[in-house]
Amino acid sequence: MSRKLAALALVLAILVSSMGLKTALSGGHAGNAVLMANGPEPFPKPPLR
Amino acid sequence: MPGPLALVIWYIGIGLEIAFIVCSIARKSFFRYLFLNAYFLLELGSSAGRYFFLSRFGQSSAEYCYAYFYTDALLTLALYVALISLYARVFGELRLNNFVRYAAVLLLLATALFSYAAVVQSEQRLATAFAYELSQNLYFVGLVLTYILWGAVLKLRETRTRLVQFILALGLYFSGYAASFALVNLASKYSVVSFIAPALGCLLPLMWTVTILRHSEESRLEPARLLAVAR
Repeated sequence: MSRKLAALALVLAILVSSMGLKTALSGGHAGNAVLMANGPEPFPKPPLR
Repeated sequence: MPGPLALVIWYIGIGLEIAFIVCSIARKSFFRYLFLNAYFLLELGSSAGRYFFLSRFGQSSAEYCYAYFYTDALLTLALYVALISLYARVFGELRLNNFVRYAAVLLLLATALFSYAAVVQSEQRLATAFAYELSQNLYFVGLVLTYILWGAVLKLRETRTRLVQFILALGLYFSGYAASFALVNLASKYSVVSFIAPALGCLLPLMWTVTILRHSEESRLEPARLLAVAR
Protein backbone atom coordinates (compact mmCIF):
# COMPACT_ATOMS: atom_id res chain seq x y z
CA MET A 1 0.00 0.00 0.00
CA SER A 2 1.35 3.40 -0.91
CA ARG A 3 2.00 6.05 1.70
CA LYS A 4 -0.88 8.18 0.43
CA LEU A 5 -3.37 5.37 0.83
CA ALA A 6 -1.96 4.57 4.26
CA ALA A 7 -2.43 8.21 5.28
CA LEU A 8 -6.01 8.18 3.97
CA ALA A 9 -6.84 5.01 5.92
CA LEU A 10 -5.25 6.48 9.05
CA VAL A 11 -7.18 9.75 8.68
CA LEU A 12 -10.50 7.95 8.27
CA ALA A 13 -9.81 5.71 11.28
CA ILE A 14 -8.96 8.75 13.44
CA LEU A 15 -12.05 10.64 12.27
CA VAL A 16 -14.37 7.71 12.95
CA SER A 17 -12.91 7.08 16.42
CA SER A 18 -13.09 10.81 17.28
CA MET A 19 -16.73 11.12 16.27
CA GLY A 20 -17.50 7.85 18.07
CA LEU A 21 -15.92 9.22 21.24
CA LYS A 22 -17.87 12.45 20.89
CA THR A 23 -21.16 10.59 20.53
CA ALA A 24 -20.35 8.28 23.44
CA LEU A 25 -19.52 11.18 25.78
CA SER A 26 -22.61 13.15 24.85
CA GLY A 27 -24.89 10.18 25.44
CA GLY A 28 -25.91 9.97 21.79
CA HIS A 29 -26.94 13.63 21.56
CA ALA A 30 -23.82 15.23 20.16
CA GLY A 31 -25.47 18.55 19.38
CA ASN A 32 -26.82 19.19 22.86
CA ALA A 33 -23.79 19.99 24.95
CA VAL A 34 -21.39 22.90 24.62
CA LEU A 35 -17.70 22.16 24.64
CA MET A 36 -15.53 24.95 25.98
CA ALA A 37 -12.21 23.82 24.60
CA ASN A 38 -10.15 26.98 24.69
CA GLY A 39 -9.32 29.31 27.51
CA PRO A 40 -10.80 30.24 30.86
CA GLU A 41 -13.54 32.59 29.62
CA PRO A 42 -17.17 32.16 30.74
CA PHE A 43 -19.09 30.44 27.96
CA PRO A 44 -22.28 31.67 26.28
CA LYS A 45 -25.28 29.64 25.15
CA PRO A 46 -24.39 27.47 22.15
CA PRO A 47 -25.93 28.40 18.79
CA LEU A 48 -29.11 26.50 17.95
CA ARG A 49 -29.19 23.97 15.15
CA MET B 1 -21.06 40.44 33.36
CA PRO B 2 -20.30 37.04 34.91
CA GLY B 3 -19.85 36.54 38.66
CA PRO B 4 -16.61 37.26 40.58
CA LEU B 5 -15.50 33.60 40.63
CA ALA B 6 -15.73 33.33 36.83
CA LEU B 7 -13.77 36.59 36.47
CA VAL B 8 -11.07 35.41 38.92
CA ILE B 9 -10.65 32.16 36.94
CA TRP B 10 -10.44 34.17 33.72
CA TYR B 11 -7.76 36.54 35.11
CA ILE B 12 -5.72 33.63 36.50
CA GLY B 13 -5.87 31.96 33.07
CA ILE B 14 -4.68 35.13 31.33
CA GLY B 15 -1.86 35.49 33.88
CA LEU B 16 -0.71 31.91 33.27
CA GLU B 17 -0.77 32.35 29.49
CA ILE B 18 1.38 35.49 29.78
CA ALA B 19 3.66 33.58 32.18
CA PHE B 20 4.24 30.83 29.60
CA ILE B 21 5.16 33.32 26.86
CA VAL B 22 7.45 35.28 29.20
CA CYS B 23 9.12 32.09 30.47
CA SER B 24 9.70 30.73 26.98
CA ILE B 25 11.28 34.05 25.94
CA ALA B 26 13.40 34.08 29.11
CA ARG B 27 14.53 30.46 28.50
CA LYS B 28 15.26 31.27 24.82
CA SER B 29 12.66 28.77 23.60
CA PHE B 30 10.13 31.09 21.99
CA PHE B 31 10.98 30.17 18.39
CA ARG B 32 11.73 26.55 19.27
CA TYR B 33 8.11 26.19 20.43
CA LEU B 34 6.70 28.84 18.13
CA PHE B 35 3.31 27.19 17.57
CA LEU B 36 2.69 26.68 21.30
CA ASN B 37 3.49 30.35 21.89
CA ALA B 38 1.39 31.38 18.89
CA TYR B 39 -1.56 29.51 20.39
CA PHE B 40 -1.28 31.44 23.65
CA LEU B 41 -0.76 34.75 21.83
CA LEU B 42 -3.93 34.07 19.84
CA GLU B 43 -5.71 33.08 23.05
CA LEU B 44 -4.68 36.40 24.66
CA GLY B 45 -5.97 38.29 21.61
CA SER B 46 -9.26 36.42 21.65
CA SER B 47 -9.56 37.01 25.40
CA ALA B 48 -9.33 40.76 24.76
CA GLY B 49 -12.00 40.51 22.03
CA ARG B 50 -14.27 38.35 24.14
CA TYR B 51 -13.90 40.76 27.10
CA PHE B 52 -14.88 43.67 24.86
CA PHE B 53 -18.07 41.93 23.68
CA LEU B 54 -18.86 40.55 27.14
CA SER B 55 -18.59 43.92 28.89
CA ARG B 56 -20.46 45.74 26.13
CA PHE B 57 -23.30 43.32 25.32
CA GLY B 58 -23.46 40.79 28.20
CA GLN B 59 -22.94 37.05 28.49
CA SER B 60 -26.26 35.97 26.97
CA SER B 61 -26.05 38.33 23.97
CA ALA B 62 -25.79 37.07 20.39
CA GLU B 63 -22.72 39.29 19.87
CA TYR B 64 -20.75 37.56 22.64
CA CYS B 65 -21.96 34.18 21.39
CA TYR B 66 -20.66 34.89 17.86
CA ALA B 67 -17.39 36.34 19.16
CA TYR B 68 -16.89 33.35 21.45
CA PHE B 69 -17.54 30.58 18.95
CA TYR B 70 -15.72 32.16 16.00
CA THR B 71 -12.60 32.75 18.13
CA ASP B 72 -13.02 29.26 19.63
CA ALA B 73 -12.89 27.72 16.15
CA LEU B 74 -9.72 29.72 15.39
CA LEU B 75 -8.15 28.68 18.69
CA THR B 76 -8.97 25.01 18.19
CA LEU B 77 -7.34 25.25 14.78
CA ALA B 78 -4.26 26.85 16.38
CA LEU B 79 -4.14 24.11 19.03
CA TYR B 80 -4.38 21.51 16.26
CA VAL B 81 -1.40 23.10 14.51
CA ALA B 82 0.50 23.17 17.83
CA LEU B 83 -0.25 19.46 18.30
CA ILE B 84 0.97 18.67 14.76
CA SER B 85 4.18 20.59 15.53
CA LEU B 86 4.72 18.22 18.48
CA TYR B 87 4.09 15.29 16.09
CA ALA B 88 6.71 16.70 13.73
CA ARG B 89 9.21 16.86 16.61
CA VAL B 90 8.56 13.27 17.71
CA PHE B 91 8.64 11.81 14.18
CA GLY B 92 11.31 14.20 12.87
CA GLU B 93 14.14 11.78 13.61
CA LEU B 94 12.37 9.07 11.57
CA ARG B 95 12.19 11.46 8.59
CA LEU B 96 8.40 11.17 8.53
CA ASN B 97 7.75 14.93 8.56
CA ASN B 98 6.26 14.99 5.07
CA PHE B 99 3.94 12.09 5.87
CA VAL B 100 2.81 13.82 9.11
CA ARG B 101 2.12 17.09 7.25
CA TYR B 102 0.19 15.34 4.49
CA ALA B 103 -1.91 13.31 6.96
CA ALA B 104 -2.55 16.41 9.12
CA VAL B 105 -3.87 18.45 6.18
CA LEU B 106 -5.98 15.51 4.99
CA LEU B 107 -7.42 15.02 8.49
CA LEU B 108 -8.23 18.73 8.79
CA LEU B 109 -10.01 18.70 5.41
CA ALA B 110 -11.93 15.53 6.30
CA THR B 111 -13.03 17.03 9.63
CA ALA B 112 -14.13 20.26 7.94
CA LEU B 113 -16.09 18.29 5.34
CA PHE B 114 -17.72 16.15 8.03
CA SER B 115 -18.64 19.27 10.06
CA TYR B 116 -20.11 20.94 6.97
CA ALA B 117 -22.19 17.84 6.20
CA ALA B 118 -23.49 17.87 9.79
CA VAL B 119 -24.70 21.50 9.68
CA VAL B 120 -25.59 22.05 6.02
CA GLN B 121 -29.32 21.77 6.76
CA SER B 122 -29.11 23.96 9.88
CA GLU B 123 -31.72 26.69 10.34
CA GLN B 124 -29.13 28.86 12.10
CA ARG B 125 -26.61 30.96 10.15
CA LEU B 126 -24.47 28.40 8.40
CA ALA B 127 -21.14 30.05 9.22
CA THR B 128 -21.88 30.13 12.97
CA ALA B 129 -23.13 26.55 13.10
CA PHE B 130 -20.12 25.44 11.03
CA ALA B 131 -17.62 27.23 13.29
CA TYR B 132 -19.25 25.67 16.36
CA GLU B 133 -19.35 22.16 14.86
CA LEU B 134 -15.81 22.34 13.46
CA SER B 135 -14.47 23.51 16.82
CA GLN B 136 -16.10 20.59 18.65
CA ASN B 137 -15.11 17.96 16.08
CA LEU B 138 -11.55 19.21 15.77
CA TYR B 139 -11.27 19.12 19.54
CA PHE B 140 -12.18 15.42 19.64
CA VAL B 141 -9.79 14.71 16.75
CA GLY B 142 -7.10 16.46 18.82
CA LEU B 143 -7.94 14.28 21.79
CA VAL B 144 -7.51 11.05 19.79
CA LEU B 145 -4.33 12.41 18.15
CA THR B 146 -2.82 13.17 21.56
CA TYR B 147 -3.38 9.59 22.74
CA ILE B 148 -1.83 8.26 19.53
CA LEU B 149 1.14 10.59 20.05
CA TRP B 150 1.57 9.36 23.60
CA GLY B 151 1.56 5.77 22.29
CA ALA B 152 4.28 6.77 19.81
CA VAL B 153 6.30 8.42 22.60
CA LEU B 154 6.21 5.17 24.58
CA LYS B 155 6.98 3.02 21.56
CA LEU B 156 9.86 5.20 20.35
CA ARG B 157 11.16 5.62 23.91
CA GLU B 158 11.26 9.39 23.54
CA THR B 159 13.55 10.84 26.20
CA ARG B 160 13.29 14.62 25.67
CA THR B 161 11.75 15.71 28.98
CA ARG B 162 10.14 18.91 27.73
CA LEU B 163 8.52 17.19 24.77
CA VAL B 164 7.20 14.32 26.92
CA GLN B 165 5.84 16.76 29.52
CA PHE B 166 4.18 18.96 26.88
CA ILE B 167 2.42 15.93 25.38
CA LEU B 168 1.38 14.59 28.79
CA ALA B 169 -0.01 18.00 29.75
CA LEU B 170 -1.95 18.20 26.50
CA GLY B 171 -3.37 14.72 27.12
CA LEU B 172 -4.49 15.72 30.62
CA TYR B 173 -6.02 18.94 29.30
CA PHE B 174 -7.96 17.21 26.52
CA SER B 175 -9.05 14.39 28.84
CA GLY B 176 -10.22 16.89 31.47
CA TYR B 177 -12.33 18.68 28.87
CA ALA B 178 -13.77 15.39 27.63
CA ALA B 179 -14.74 14.54 31.21
CA SER B 180 -16.33 17.96 31.70
CA PHE B 181 -18.18 17.53 28.39
CA ALA B 182 -19.70 14.31 29.75
CA LEU B 183 -20.41 15.99 33.11
CA VAL B 184 -22.26 18.88 31.47
CA ASN B 185 -24.48 16.31 29.76
CA LEU B 186 -25.03 14.37 32.97
CA ALA B 187 -25.48 17.17 35.50
CA SER B 188 -26.04 20.47 33.71
CA LYS B 189 -28.49 21.64 36.41
CA TYR B 190 -25.67 22.12 38.95
CA SER B 191 -24.10 25.57 38.59
CA VAL B 192 -20.69 24.35 39.78
CA VAL B 193 -20.34 22.43 36.52
CA SER B 194 -20.15 25.71 34.62
CA PHE B 195 -16.91 26.62 36.47
CA ILE B 196 -15.12 23.34 35.77
CA ALA B 197 -14.41 24.00 32.09
CA PRO B 198 -13.01 27.56 32.54
CA ALA B 199 -10.88 26.27 35.45
CA LEU B 200 -9.55 23.53 33.15
CA GLY B 201 -8.60 26.31 30.72
CA CYS B 202 -5.97 27.39 33.29
CA LEU B 203 -4.50 23.87 33.44
CA LEU B 204 -2.65 23.85 30.10
CA PRO B 205 -0.75 27.15 30.51
CA LEU B 206 0.06 26.18 34.12
CA MET B 207 1.52 22.77 33.20
CA TRP B 208 3.42 24.08 30.19
CA THR B 209 4.84 27.00 32.23
CA VAL B 210 6.03 24.62 34.96
CA THR B 211 7.59 22.38 32.27
CA ILE B 212 9.46 25.19 30.57
CA LEU B 213 10.63 26.57 33.92
CA ARG B 214 11.76 23.27 35.45
CA HIS B 215 13.36 21.56 32.45
CA SER B 216 15.92 22.76 29.95
CA GLU B 217 15.99 21.66 26.31
CA GLU B 218 18.84 19.28 27.13
CA SER B 219 16.94 17.49 29.94
CA ARG B 220 16.41 13.80 29.24
CA LEU B 221 14.28 11.12 30.86
CA GLU B 222 15.59 7.65 31.49
CA PRO B 223 13.75 5.40 28.99
CA ALA B 224 12.93 2.85 31.73
CA ARG B 225 10.87 5.47 33.57
CA LEU B 226 8.50 5.86 30.65
CA LEU B 227 7.42 2.22 30.59
CA ALA B 228 6.17 0.63 33.77
CA VAL B 229 6.43 -2.87 32.32
CA ALA B 230 8.02 -5.60 34.40
CA ARG B 231 10.80 -7.37 32.53
